[in-house]
Amino acid sequence: MSPILEVEDVVRTFGAVRAVDGATFAVEEHSVTGLIGPNGAGKSTLFATIAGSLKPTSGRIVFAGRRIDRTSAYRVARAGVVRTYQAARVLTRMSVLDNVLLASKGHPGERLLGAVLRPGASRDHERAARARAHELLALVGLEAHAQAYAGTLSGGQRKLLDLARVLMLEPSLVLLDEPMAGVAPALRVELLEHILAVRRDRGITFLVVEHDLDFVMQAADRVVVMNEGRVLTVGTPAEVRTNEQVVDAYLGTAH
Amino acid sequence: MSILASGGFWAFVGVVAGIYTILSLGLQVQFGFAGLLNFGQVGFMALGAYTMAILVVKEGWSMWLAAPLGVAAAAVGGLLLGLPTLRLRADYFAIVTIAFSEIIRYVATNETSLTGGTQGTIALGPTGTASQYNGQWAAFQTHLQHSLGFSSADATMLVIVWTVGVVLLTLVWVALRTPWGRVLRAVRDDEDAAASLGKNVFAYKLQALALGAALAGVAGLFYAWEFSFFSPDDFEPLLTFFAWMILLLGGLGRVWAVPVGAVVFGFIFAGTRFLNFAPFTWVASDERAYIRLIIIGLIILVLVVLRPQGLLGNRREMVLE
Amino acid sequence: MFLQLVANGLVTGSIYAIAAVGVSLVYGILRLVNFAYGDFMAFGALIAFGVNGPLHQSMVVAALAGMAATALLSLVLDAVLWHPLRIRRAGFMSLFLASIGLALVLRQSLLLAAGSAPRSYAVNPYRVFVLGSVRLSEAQLIAIATAAGTIVLVGLFLALTTWGRVLRAMADDRALAAVAGIDVGAATRMAWLISGLLAGLAGVLAALVEYSFDPNFGFQLLLPVFAAVVLGGIGSAYGALLGGLALGLAQEVSTWSGFAGGVNPVYKPVVAFSVLALALLIRPQGFFGQARVG
Repeated sequence: MSPILEVEDVVRTFGAVRAVDGATFAVEEHSVTGLIGPNGAGKSTLFATIAGSLKPTSGRIVFAGRRIDRTSAYRVARAGVVRTYQAARVLTRMSVLDNVLLASKGHPGERLLGAVLRPGASRDHERAARARAHELLALVGLEAHAQAYAGTLSGGQRKLLDLARVLMLEPSLVLLDEPMAGVAPALRVELLEHILAVRRDRGITFLVVEHDLDFVMQAADRVVVMNEGRVLTVGTPAEVRTNEQVVDAYLGTAH
Repeated sequence: MSILASGGFWAFVGVVAGIYTILSLGLQVQFGFAGLLNFGQVGFMALGAYTMAILVVKEGWSMWLAAPLGVAAAAVGGLLLGLPTLRLRADYFAIVTIAFSEIIRYVATNETSLTGGTQGTIALGPTGTASQYNGQWAAFQTHLQHSLGFSSADATMLVIVWTVGVVLLTLVWVALRTPWGRVLRAVRDDEDAAASLGKNVFAYKLQALALGAALAGVAGLFYAWEFSFFSPDDFEPLLTFFAWMILLLGGLGRVWAVPVGAVVFGFIFAGTRFLNFAPFTWVASDERAYIRLIIIGLIILVLVVLRPQGLLGNRREMVLE
Repeated sequence: MFLQLVANGLVTGSIYAIAAVGVSLVYGILRLVNFAYGDFMAFGALIAFGVNGPLHQSMVVAALAGMAATALLSLVLDAVLWHPLRIRRAGFMSLFLASIGLALVLRQSLLLAAGSAPRSYAVNPYRVFVLGSVRLSEAQLIAIATAAGTIVLVGLFLALTTWGRVLRAMADDRALAAVAGIDVGAATRMAWLISGLLAGLAGVLAALVEYSFDPNFGFQLLLPVFAAVVLGGIGSAYGALLGGLALGLAQEVSTWSGFAGGVNPVYKPVVAFSVLALALLIRPQGFFGQARVG
């Protein structure tokens, strides 16, 4: 298995603060890789940098052989790297179904000229997209809420909607930002199963930032540990759990 | 009170409401559906009107060629404004758009050889002549009036403006129900989320700005045809604020709320002419113009505080916050 | 000739600077772009006229009266309009639109009360002071001296006094400031007070320099002032000062014939905006503003 994502010496500063201070690691294709570390370790900033909403101050990020560190966020998403947010950013004023439909790729109807000049192609794509959207909503158990405003969903339900949207995008790499945050314990098991099933069935790679160490231990093949903007160590969950440096790093901060 | 019974007056109010409907529809596309804080809408109106008038008077073009070009000029204006500015923060963008419309007014005021300057379109032709751009349109309007059997020019114009208005409203309504419209609304609601779904946010905003500008250009054309004369000061920021007020009145984010807001606005504006009772009779009639605008300003304030979703808006879908 | 333009630029620029600080202070605390600010300035100028003309007081007394009246107006409006909006958790858009409605009401009320006829203060427009190759009218000299003094005072206030630090802290991070125990309500009132005083002063000085003014002149000033705030970086009072001076200078100096004939003086406001547009393209956050993320 080859690395699908390579982060090389990435630095990101905000004024005098070095939020990410030379991070280097690789993510293997088809893996579930955990990214953990105490608060302030730079994980979210690194995520944002990979996803393209921030540009690194220096360093390289290579995805599937292509450099993406200077690429804007929407192009990174189109290239196959999709990011979720800690608080699922669903479009609250639109329906659940619309939220998933928005994730449809290459829709001719989404271009102004396409909508006007190719109505047939647009209608066909829309029909196919709707079918697939309903399928995915059924997969995550939100089918009954398809017409409801996404704003009426609970936190956990929004995460499921997020997952459906992610699947609609057919990504190669998914950056999951604290998927378990704000999710009721009962729902966590379901969410974990979805993630593992998706990896198994569709071969999608996951890079997951998560504070719920149980989740990380259960789900991750490899774990990258960050502290103070740098990578402390990389290893299997078992290796990382017993690593003294990691324990020190965590004990040193409120958790 | 005899003016109250005058159909001609109310037809005129209806025409103005129709022009404002088209102007505000453009703003609804830009803000109600794309979330763009455009406070320079009147500038695009000026671009449409002036382009048409200049082409007709100075270049001798046919009105029917000059008019679409006026709309195109307004759309291009939108593109030129948006390209450097749409990546700015919302508040900076708002200020820059006001500057844009004021700069247009400035140029129109000072480039006398191009626009006739402060004297307006009468001075478009060679010095000494009083030029008129409206000849072809007036002929068309009269022809239509006779065909339809109407007794007044005002009624004819009313029909024309509102026919075009309804067509445009329908076109916009249809466009917003396409997948393109869906992305636009997503950009309005959360542009970062839209970007993370692979949407080119900048391109959509630019399209919305240009479309809204084109609609303002159409409004400018009708303004020019209705009044058959205009000068730079006709396109002052006050008109943009009226358009905003219409959006607030009718409701943000709803196409068919725009004509409702425009008609209500028309009634308020016209209705304040009839303040022939105390305490308004205490002030001279020309000063009542100030009072009308004060009333309008107060209405904006009250709406913003008490009913930001407007008459028809859906509180849950309220775009204001 | 060039020096004359620099001097003119300093006059205009220092007036912009004073006004811009007022706008910036309110924005820093309330995140409100006060579109009615231009009309506050006109209000101050007209009150001063009322005191200077019909009441025959000196310009100093008139100016102070104008400043006090504008400060009072600011505070009253905060209590009557902005506070209710804050209670309803009004967002940026609501506040912006409300300030537009307010601007409309204020300007038309001024027109109603005072009429649209131009007026002037009781100063001698022909008295000129010559310093080297620079000629300044009495009005310009007063304006630049007062403005310079005010700028220094404001700068010192912001840097050295507790209130100054409080206002700057709140502009930086309002939530943090509130948690740190700052009385947000008192700070808000202080911001409106200072903003009102500065608006009144800027209005009087601008009216003085222009010699003849009417209630509409506030709006003409508003746009360059906003441009100055944006140039300096929204939320930074020091930036506003610098931005005002920079724009005033750029405006005047651009008409110098040494610059390929110079810009036609009627287009000076356009110059202000071109400078702003250019600056934003290069540095979107202005001199001292916070960069936009992503």
